[in-house]
Amino acid sequence: MTEISYQDLAWPVRDDITAAHRRTWERLAQPGTWLSGAERVAIAREARGALDCQLCRDRKDALSPNAVNGSHDHTGQLPELEVEQIHRIRTDPGRLSRAWHEGLREAGMVEERYVETVGVIANIVAMDTFTKGLGLDPWPLPAPQPGEPTRLRPVAAKQQMAWVSTLAPQDAIGTADEDLYAGRPTAAHIYQAMSLVPASVKGFFDLVVNQYLPPQAMTDFDNEYRAINHAQIELVAGRVSAINQCVY
Amino acid sequence: MVGDDAPSDGGIPDGARLIRFATAVLGDDAKELAAARDDIVAVMGGAALTDTAAVAALFNAIDRVADSTGIPLEDVKAEATADFRADIGIDDFAAASEKGFSA
Repeated sequence: MTEISYQDLAWPVRDDITAAHRRTWERLAQPGTWLSGAERVAIAREARGALDCQLCRDRKDALSPNAVNGSHDHTGQLPELEVEQIHRIRTDPGRLSRAWHEGLREAGMVEERYVETVGVIANIVAMDTFTKGLGLDPWPLPAPQPGEPTRLRPVAAKQQMAWVSTLAPQDAIGTADEDLYAGRPTAAHIYQAMSLVPASVKGFFDLVVNQYLPPQAMTDFDNEYRAINHAQIELVAGRVSAINQCVY
Repeated sequence: MVGDDAPSDGGIPDGARLIRFATAVLGDDAKELAAARDDIVAVMGGAALTDTAAVAALFNAIDRVADSTGIPLEDVKAEATADFRADIGIDDFAAASEKGFSA
């Protein structure tokens, strides 16, 4: 297993970031809820490879991604349908559409695998963009660990506010997934986005609280928790989201 | 913040250099990224660089969670931002019509 460490850098990286990155890498290699460890690592590899895909470059340059047909350059480890999902989310997220998502569904996409794949992509993007920012090479992917996915779908998950099914906080109360919301009846939509696969939410938000801010710190404007202040944090976040054309 | 013009500071201390870094880390110009990195370290310090990189990286990821799952903006946030979304160009994003905002 790769030992993630930022100790040799000229600049200090908080210990909580390093620890979160180590946990993320360990989770990435393990069987998930709907994906094996080998599939999860293959998705991470595909997400990295998408940056060198000619079709993705051509689509990114086109007025509409639908105007360009062709085949993705890919590792051959995953079905074409999942390659399309991974490459589009990695390279052109701002132009994803409900129609695109419906097209995947009609072509046989498995919703639970889709959501867990989103989680893997999010983790690899958060880690790889961080290392890129610091001038480091991406960390070598971990070796997949054996075992079977749990295949546990939240009993109260349903199609409601998003393209994918979600578990509403009030519906989670009294179920096996109540801990996802710590019993709270409400939660931000971004926290609910991957709730069809609770482990993906917990894993990604391990990075959120350490790379960004813990929930209680987000609105505590009397105190600063990072080397850049609240306003500076939100400026960086806003600029990134603007470039990605994310309206959320 | 939304456009491609040279970075302003957004009225925030060191805002221009933070925007420069956030832009560079999502781009393909390694020299510009290195220069943006060095600029933050020189003026704000190494810890500011690593925290800036952490935030930029996290939002590069969280945008993909939002856009690939199709979650809508909360009503209260949509109402609170309605007066400036159009003014600063957010409602012109391709995803805006997908999320129920006028494009």
